[in-house]
Amino acid sequence: MKLSAVQADAIQELGNIGAAHAATTLSQMLGSSIEMSVPAIRVVELSQLGQYMGEESAAMVAFELQGDIPHGGYILFYITRESAVRMTNTMLGQTETNRPLSEMDESALLEVGNIMVSAFLDATAELLGFVMLPSPPALTIDMAHAAMQSLIAQMQEETDEVLLFSTELACEEFKVDSDIIMMPERSTLLRIIELLENMMKPVS
Amino acid sequence: MPDHHPQSEQTAMIGIGEYRVGSFPMMTIGLGSCIGLTLYDPNLKMGAMVHIMLPESAGRMDRPGKYVDTAVPLLVKELVALGCKNRSIVAKIAGGACMFEYFGTNLNIGERNAGKVRILLQEHNIQLAAEDVGGKVGRSVTFLPANDGKVTIRRADGTSSSL
Repeated sequence: MKLSAVQADAIQELGNIGAAHAATTLSQMLGSSIEMSVPAIRVVELSQLGQYMGEESAAMVAFELQGDIPHGGYILFYITRESAVRMTNTMLGQTETNRPLSEMDESALLEVGNIMVSAFLDATAELLGFVMLPSPPALTIDMAHAAMQSLIAQMQEETDEVLLFSTELACEEFKVDSDIIMMPERSTLLRIIELLENMMKPVS
Repeated sequence: MPDHHPQSEQTAMIGIGEYRVGSFPMMTIGLGSCIGLTLYDPNLKMGAMVHIMLPESAGRMDRPGKYVDTAVPLLVKELVALGCKNRSIVAKIAGGACMFEYFGTNLNIGERNAGKVRILLQEHNIQLAAEDVGGKVGRSVTFLPANDGKVTIRRADGTSSSL
């Protein structure tokens, strides 16, 4: 799978719009400003997944992409364990950072993931005129590679490489660093590219 | 592609769908629903490790380490070619977890992977000596053929155990 420069640019712009909306919701929830990275697009060979997702303990809220394509792939909110504790502390008015994550933390993480991913997909749907809805969320707090690998294993279209499309959202004030990672099925990706290319065509 | 020549004592990192055969240390990180399978021959003090992702290859031959039904026969064949006997090979498996409990409960890939490995090992008359499978935890596995085929499993909470 190889994207042309134009296709990569178009997807990056789509990510920019989605992530900007997600960043706004995170900013409101934390009551602080959020910095957003330029969206990164990586085509990752399965055997090399360990270079992007390691053994680090992370909270991941995953959603299946549904809507106009029933099984479109996955989108997830990723946050390292340390950042997750600082984020929920900020939201729940706590200060202790050296503690296990409680059910309350898990609910907060699910909620943040839900709101951010919904904002991301709302914005991209509006731009594309193509509806991608998040499934109900599923949360895991464990090794990042193990979680990611499990999602890839249940993708519909058998693949030896995945397209990871990630944008970093960070809050300097509370030292919270998170990512939104989209992993579309190949057919969904092609459909998105087609829609973007049509939009860029001059109006006749 | 995997390289079958025993190398230095440097640990070989085995990614998804990859395998190695030899007496050097091997390691695979972050198994979720995937399976880390090790085969060890105590007589020759050598073994093989593979990081399997799915139970069935459905005829695909280009990446045998990725599927249970192609990985097991391949590893056995490689070990036999090096002089190992099926009946002396000892198998251990780790992984096969279900990381996201609200997803795809009707297609628990981890469970299916582990089940299929057990069947294939039995078909090849290979003894399954130990396993640490299932649950909802990620696992990293280290395999030391030169050290009696010792298998160590590490979890995200920092705990580790031996098989």
